[in-house]
Amino acid sequence: MVFYSILYNRGVYPEESFAKVKKYGLPMLLTQDEGVKSFITNLTAQLSGKSVFVCDAFKSILITSSHSENEIVGKEWLEAGKLQRVVMVIMSKATNEVLERWNFSIETDSDVVEKGVSREKSDREIMREIQAIMRQIASSITYLPCLDEPCVFDVLAYTDTDVAVPFTWIESDPKLIANPQMVKLHSFDTKIHKVDTLVSYKNDEWDEQ
Amino acid sequence: MWVQGEKRVLDAPRLRNDYYSNIMSWGINNILAVALGPELYLWNSEDQAVHKLLQVRGGNDWPTSVTWSEDASTLAVGYMCSNLQLWDVESSKLIRSLQGHSGRIASTAWNGHILTSGSRDKSIINHDVRAANSLASCIKRHADEVCGLKWSTEGNRLASGGNENLLYIWEASKMSSSKFLHRLSDHCAAVKALAWCPYQNNVLASGGGLSDGCIKIWNTEKGICINNIETKAQICGLEWNRHHKEILSGHGYSITENQNKLCLWRYPSMTKVGELGNHKSRIINLCQSPDGITVISAGADETLRFWDVFGPPTAGAGNSMVSDLQGLLSFRTSLLR
Repeated sequence: MVFYSILYNRGVYPEESFAKVKKYGLPMLLTQDEGVKSFITNLTAQLSGKSVFVCDAFKSILITSSHSENEIVGKEWLEAGKLQRVVMVIMSKATNEVLERWNFSIETDSDVVEKGVSREKSDREIMREIQAIMRQIASSITYLPCLDEPCVFDVLAYTDTDVAVPFTWIESDPKLIANPQMVKLHSFDTKIHKVDTLVSYKNDEWDEQ
Repeated sequence: MWVQGEKRVLDAPRLRNDYYSNIMSWGINNILAVALGPELYLWNSEDQAVHKLLQVRGGNDWPTSVTWSEDASTLAVGYMCSNLQLWDVESSKLIRSLQGHSGRIASTAWNGHILTSGSRDKSIINHDVRAANSLASCIKRHADEVCGLKWSTEGNRLASGGNENLLYIWEASKMSSSKFLHRLSDHCAAVKALAWCPYQNNVLASGGGLSDGCIKIWNTEKGICINNIETKAQICGLEWNRHHKEILSGHGYSITENQNKLCLWRYPSMTKVGELGNHKSRIINLCQSPDGITVISAGADETLRFWDVFGPPTAGAGNSMVSDLQGLLSFRTSLLR
């Protein structure tokens, strides 16, 4: 859902291709575009492992957008605490230059993963934190440079090196931005994972003056 | 709330962990047909004999739906590669193959001599199995895979659930791509679990997938939802108790509660009577015995678990019933049912 939200707010896909759905008290957006949907489905299903992505709450967001009731057979990166970071990059369709990079760093509470300890946190609290992130993403349009050319996006997953990678994923370069501007968003924290969000974007020429 | 242990556990190796399949059916001949991977087995509940009916070779095809005809004379088997077969189980022979779909057949339902199939190709086909040209009608209305199909007990209405979260009610006499009785869009996830109420005409229960987790009770006459319960877990099956006014839901994934459990709800109040569940991973399918006493849950943990949750037919029975109810922690609860 966070990915969808980013796409809409950054104008990567035209507004008409999204259908509005109300969840978590904020209007959420689901894409109608088949290509995007199947990409995200495959991606989030992969990331979801045993239907957990990042944390309980984040999981529900991504599962709702994955449009599949199944898990993909593959290594449960997340549950085993082996998923370190998920990055979404927005690139110019024409030049493949990376214009924006949304970085979600994931810190897994090893006590929870290894010893099955569970921390107390109400669903309400978690939901409030998610809403805060959604609002931040939405408000990012005020300070991020406009993307006024056709763009494409890609998602990168950083895992521990001992993880077996399902065949639908390929090795990638990190797609970094040279001399980026960076903005750190709120982090959010649930019973198992803490997620930090960082946006880096290409320096707008006007900023230099 | 009471918690009951299962009566029996059968190993189900290679049972596919696929939410959309309906790979289990218990016929009135007391034979349970269940597809495990590329093989289809028959288990006789009277003598526990096991017989392998078929095996698909090659590795890229397998049964995705299994349903006994109402008189258990024929077993319908739908496949991943879109084939639909009718089997005579007495002779272990394939009677015929039915064509029409271009995607896997994950849901099938019988209505007398009509076999209805729902597919990933988004269409519903009604086959008249007596006719040489079996295709009676093809309904193209769903926008995604048809994963739930159930004919009402009287055979006048069909409920179809899709992966696009829609539930359609059809009149048997007036089925066509544009003519549905109701289009119900209340669910927010795939609608696979469907069950018609045995004691109230035209009342249907539907269950939603992971982002929904709701059991909705419908008056299909008026097309309105008369009750809604949030179970907070993916619903893979619903079974009505014919002996007491209750309904059982089977669950898969959840982010909060009821994960991998079976929940029993009183009807019509929909208060929770109890829950069962020893499955180590999600429940994929439910079915009930012909005598309406036992429910089987098929789990991704490759087990079939039998629960005598719907009996006994008469409450408050004497000592002869005690051995059957030994699993119950609270015997008194059953008397009040």
